[in-house]
Amino acid sequence: MMNKIAGHEVDRRLLLKGAAAGGLGIAGATMLAGCAPGETGPVSFGARTVDESPTKQLKGLVDAYTAKTGNEVTYNATESNAFQNNLSQYLQGTPDDCFQWMAGFRMQFFADQGLLEDVSSVWDEIGDQYSESYKIASTGSDGKQYFVPQSWYPWGLHFRKSMMAEIGMSPEDIYNWDDFMAALKELKAQGLVPLAAADKGGWEAMGTFDILNARINGYQFHVDLLAGREKWTDDRVKEVFRHWEMLLPYQNTNVLDLEWDGAMQLLLQKQAGFFMNGSWFGGNFLEQSQEDYDDLWIVPFPEINPDHARDTIDAPIDGFCVAKNGSNPAGGKDLIKFAGDMEGVQAMLDTGIPMTSANKGQDTSTFDAFQQQQLAVMGEAKYITQFLDRDTRPDFAGPVVGPALQSWFKDPSSTDSILESLQSQWDALPAL
Amino acid sequence: MSTTATNQKTARRRRTFSGRDKATLGFFIGIPTFLHVALVWFPAVATIFLSFTYWTGIHISDIQWAGTANYENIFFNTPVFWDALRVNVVWLLWFGFIATPLGILLAYQIDREIRGHKFYQTAYYLPVVLSLAVIGIIWNFLLRPDGFINGALGLPISEAISFFGDDRYNLWVILIMASWRHIGYIMLLYLAGLKAIDATLREAASIDGATEWKTFLQVIFPAMGPVNIIVIVITIIESLRAFDMIYIIYGGTGGLPILGVLVFQNIAGEGASMKGAAYAVILFLLSIVPIIAYLRQQFREDAK
Repeated sequence: MMNKIAGHEVDRRLLLKGAAAGGLGIAGATMLAGCAPGETGPVSFGARTVDESPTKQLKGLVDAYTAKTGNEVTYNATESNAFQNNLSQYLQGTPDDCFQWMAGFRMQFFADQGLLEDVSSVWDEIGDQYSESYKIASTGSDGKQYFVPQSWYPWGLHFRKSMMAEIGMSPEDIYNWDDFMAALKELKAQGLVPLAAADKGGWEAMGTFDILNARINGYQFHVDLLAGREKWTDDRVKEVFRHWEMLLPYQNTNVLDLEWDGAMQLLLQKQAGFFMNGSWFGGNFLEQSQEDYDDLWIVPFPEINPDHARDTIDAPIDGFCVAKNGSNPAGGKDLIKFAGDMEGVQAMLDTGIPMTSANKGQDTSTFDAFQQQQLAVMGEAKYITQFLDRDTRPDFAGPVVGPALQSWFKDPSSTDSILESLQSQWDALPAL
Repeated sequence: MSTTATNQKTARRRRTFSGRDKATLGFFIGIPTFLHVALVWFPAVATIFLSFTYWTGIHISDIQWAGTANYENIFFNTPVFWDALRVNVVWLLWFGFIATPLGILLAYQIDREIRGHKFYQTAYYLPVVLSLAVIGIIWNFLLRPDGFINGALGLPISEAISFFGDDRYNLWVILIMASWRHIGYIMLLYLAGLKAIDATLREAASIDGATEWKTFLQVIFPAMGPVNIIVIVITIIESLRAFDMIYIIYGGTGGLPILGVLVFQNIAGEGASMKGAAYAVILFLLSIVPIIAYLRQQFREDAK
């Protein structure tokens, strides 16, 4: 398999032949009896996006798969929120053979319910293209793999280089909270929205909660809190909201009226200084123009408590799963094996849509400047978390934490009662 | 016609049906009854049962008895429930005291054939042909931060009027949107009723020297009994089942909490739990109890 990773520089036709031959050889040895070209038959793929850039990227992937194997792929796209809301019913009904999903708790939950196909055999084949941490993130609570990673992105402070240069500010030098507050104050004086924020979707602000909690109380406390081993009523959590309150005067006032892409518009239209978000929206900037994309930059969220420095980051992993109830699970596995293999990754990269792949084979020297910077931001962190709604129970994150943060934005003075209610709602959850 | 009527009368008195009649009746009553029970009563009873359990909605074998835990959780631990209840109550009051009476007033005016009544009738009725979801989409285009109104005012997104996000007035914006359709709906129902009223009633009233207002209150309104019941029931149901428009604007999250969205939020998606079933039962009781109470009172009055 190693030659395949290095192989993306050689002629692609040669590579296809080599990969096909390799696939045949392995097919005999593993459970995946049907993974030889053309043998797994037509397969359906469920995309959880209807946006332009990711669609182009995924179409590139399935076209390359069809070109290689001769297997027809039916591409079904669903808008992301609708896809999430229906996933449970979708997986119990007649799902696509494989579909886009997220790592961590959100994948484990469905694996535990027996709705996902064990893809350990895929990992046997392409596992050496991934570092151990990705394998852990793809593993269910029973120790088997149910997920193949596609890409990751860090959450951090995004800004436009040109705007900062105009003001004469160098965000790279913002190291701690005091630096950050001073910068926000300066941006406000310039008549800008210092920090673009959104929470209409109910999840956007979770990223800010995650990072504040990790900065103030450290990785371990954050993880323990989300697992229910620490209490929401703890003074340390109150400290998080006390810091958050300091940011409010610097945010746009219509936080509850904007979804993430509305806040992104503030940055795109040069109305805002910083935007705390995942870097995935680089693609949206590129849709606008190459110039806008080149102007985009990211720095880590500043240090608050020197004990924890900037050692933690939210870096969610997106990828693919195979549905147990699909009509062709073998075909689904074959497709996600291709997607996880450097060959499939390369097909996605060839579409020109920026992607930071989880695959070791994506040569980081081919990263553009913004991606290099994302890597650097990741590099500074010692601990990686997924995201609040991927790191805790789904019946807590969406229906409980989401509305709680929204009501906090409506009345930040009600922190104590909101935290008490969060804790009592956690306590009222049935045992898993 | 008259023979059929006589036959029916006789049949009813003697209660003798031929085997063929029984088969036909059984068929025509049985099939819809079966479908009704299977598609309405079974899910309703199952929902009531499930509201007393813990379940993720996936494997039947995972259902665990929870007693009243879901309800206790809602009443004592979930502040958003009370927020939602408040919104639904305000919605009901608004519909009951503002939107519905406005619809009745319009129907009355149009029935009196004021100048240009045909135009008003069409204009007010137009939104009724749209579903609330479509109305949500239309108004969202107009009012969202990058929408038409904010654009026309020349406001950038960061300074846009927060029609849907600001707690001080988002409920009223939503109510105006919903009334836009509701008023036309009530108007049409009432107009149909008014058209059916015997013109001599009105003549008699005016000969007796009754004013327009008195005629309406003491002659027309009581004569509209059956339509009034429908209008009241529709007003209650429309206010409590509100969901689609809110869902279109806010998504499945509680941007403006209402009971319908809480049901959805807790039963759909990954966070499925039977707390959603409990919300559904609460909503069901809230809708059905006032309606039954009202109908019972009406029928008692009619019996007198």
